[in-house]
Amino acid sequence: MRSAFSLRLPRRSTTGRSTVLRRPGAAVVAVTALLLAACAPGVEEPSVTEAASAPSVPVTAASIDPSSFRGQSLTYVYFTDGPDEQATRTAIGEFEQATGATVNLQIVPFADLEKSLQARLSGGDAPDVARVADWHPYEDQLLQLDDQLGSGYAAEFIEGSAASSKDATGRMVAVPSDLTMNGPLVNVAAFEKAGVALPTADKPWNWERMIADATEVQKANDMESAIAIDKSGHRLSTVLSQFGTRIIGPDGQESLDQAKAEKVFTLLSDQMNSGGIEKDFWLESGSKYKGANDMFLAGAVPVYISGNWQVAQFAKSATFDWAAVPNPCEEACGGFPGGKYMVGFKASKNPQLAAYFLQFMNTAEQQTKIDPVAGWLPTRQDLVEKGIDYPERGKDMQVFLDDVKKTAPDDFLTVSSPVFGASATVLVEQMSAIAAGQVDVSTAVSTAKKEIAALVQDAEK
Amino acid sequence: MSVAVSAPASTPPDRPPGRTARSRPVRPYKWWVPYLFVLPNMVVFGLFTIWPAINGFNISLFDSRNGRTFTPVGLDNYREILADPEFRSVVLHTVVFVIGFVVATVVLATTLALALNAQHRGRGVLRAAYFLPVVISPVVVGLIWSWALTRQNGVVNAVLSGIGMGKPGWLTDPDLAMTSTIVVGLWTHLGFYAMILLAGLQAIPANLYEAARIDGASGWQQIRSITLPLLRPTMLVVIVLSTITGFQAFDFIYTLTGGGPVGATTLIVQYIYEKAFQSPIQYGLAAAGGVLFFVAVFAVTLVNYLLGRRKEAM
Repeated sequence: MRSAFSLRLPRRSTTGRSTVLRRPGAAVVAVTALLLAACAPGVEEPSVTEAASAPSVPVTAASIDPSSFRGQSLTYVYFTDGPDEQATRTAIGEFEQATGATVNLQIVPFADLEKSLQARLSGGDAPDVARVADWHPYEDQLLQLDDQLGSGYAAEFIEGSAASSKDATGRMVAVPSDLTMNGPLVNVAAFEKAGVALPTADKPWNWERMIADATEVQKANDMESAIAIDKSGHRLSTVLSQFGTRIIGPDGQESLDQAKAEKVFTLLSDQMNSGGIEKDFWLESGSKYKGANDMFLAGAVPVYISGNWQVAQFAKSATFDWAAVPNPCEEACGGFPGGKYMVGFKASKNPQLAAYFLQFMNTAEQQTKIDPVAGWLPTRQDLVEKGIDYPERGKDMQVFLDDVKKTAPDDFLTVSSPVFGASATVLVEQMSAIAAGQVDVSTAVSTAKKEIAALVQDAEK
Repeated sequence: MSVAVSAPASTPPDRPPGRTARSRPVRPYKWWVPYLFVLPNMVVFGLFTIWPAINGFNISLFDSRNGRTFTPVGLDNYREILADPEFRSVVLHTVVFVIGFVVATVVLATTLALALNAQHRGRGVLRAAYFLPVVISPVVVGLIWSWALTRQNGVVNAVLSGIGMGKPGWLTDPDLAMTSTIVVGLWTHLGFYAMILLAGLQAIPANLYEAARIDGASGWQQIRSITLPLLRPTMLVVIVLSTITGFQAFDFIYTLTGGGPVGATTLIVQYIYEKAFQSPIQYGLAAAGGVLFFVAVFAVTLVNYLLGRRKEAM
């Protein structure tokens, strides 16, 4: 019996010649396809001389009359975190009013941002401006902002952010537009019930104290765990930084200190083994990012190490009293930074307008308007010093802003390394391997060092 | 409305004498005419399947970190991927998954099809019930099962701990996680393969069983001597299709375990996806993985097919 699903291979023709040989057309198509396949995909890598001879635009936007842009337009590729969209649209409206130019805001999902930008750059359809999380993938295509906005422009931003927006030659290629800061959030109601005092800026926790207090609160409130930490190499980098080490040093090379990293991994794995940190949380979902915000909101944990972006969500969703508290201090205080950048592209039809737009959106006036609505931290030196009035949960945002000042500028360079993302994944994988009992702490740290060094070496090729 | 067309038994009475259908002028055969009919489909297939596949091979010969600039590297991507211990481990996981999935599929889908074939009342309802998971999005399947199998609060462990069997780490124990992914894969696809086998069973002539019963054959003897041999071609289809499905498994696993714990359920498609779309992006390496994957699936399918044909001919 032959099933209706049987497969048949093409039979040889009765003349003994294959179908392709008897059909010159088919042979031509096949050969053409192979020849086309031999062509290089994408575009050729520009030669060094070609890149060096690219025309620069020696006009400083600072000296430009805004009304000279009347009737012109630019495209702004943007991804949104939520409430920032409306704040950005408002700022764009003010820009359009001030200049008479129009801005075509094109919102793309964050997951598609890099693919979309690379495809547009490859297809000769570059936008004028984009908001990005990492500017390195487009480095050769970015406007040199020192040319456009003056060499002193970078100094308007805090040291770490300014350093992270410069290329290897020290020229500014991105504007740090918003900042995030990692740090602990606590269930105040649970702490009060347990009679445990919260840390203050004057008397911050160290890790030992934080674990002891969190455990006491956990037991008093019959909670599932003492501490929750997002499954993220970025969050692990916070702990590493507090213990005085980083996965990538300011020179861009692997710089994990074996002893200090072992201390951190031991501390965390001890907590996982004792139930202080939920081990399953680290073993589920592979090496993918996983936020522990649901655990905190469910009242299952008294201390949650995350960042300032949770403030807006918790303000809406938390059904108990909560607060942000200063990061624990070990060798260093402060948290670990993150943030986004605005970039202009060389292929912009109007680089002057693009540069002026970048500058306009990041003036003290605009950041003061956008950040409270968007829930962002400012990147400008003056605003970090002065502070910003957040209409909601201002005290909590100020805690994060205070930690910005305590965070070492080198941490900004770590997070802006082109291999930070991949290196952070290595950290998560090794932490998970320790949690699963597959490797000991020492081996995990050695493996992480080796793999991160290989990533750096590979990126330098 | 259907129109039945039947050939006239003889020359119609109104046809002039001497003119028959045979005497109509025959148009010269043009070999390209059949190709013209399939051309629209082939253009779409060529543009969206064949061309990307050829270009995938092409990209595997280049290094690209951004999809925009490409540097020719010859066969370096193949050398690198074959020397990568992670790739070897991923291949091993894929082989374990495919073997477990295919064997369990064939055994359980055949059993289910036999049970459904023997069932006369409510067969339609049962068929629909078993087929239902097939139409659920694999992403949703992964999410549902990830909640059901969570160690602390999952419904499966709630039941197991209720009867004193503890709380196994279905998704957190590296050994159990692979079993969990196979079971979830089976749950999703079993109905589909059972329906194929059921169609095969229903095509077996009933008089063979009647004759066997008259000759005194037991139920098991009927299955062994009639059902299984005559079901073999359909089983071959199920084996081929489930092998391909097993190799392609990605979406539900990605939402179920994310490839974890510690890479224990990372299969080859996820490996390729991560090389292509997660930092550091390595399009050439991902394309080389894709080409190797194609060769492996093609080889396994061909072997399955040839073995099936040989047995069929015997």
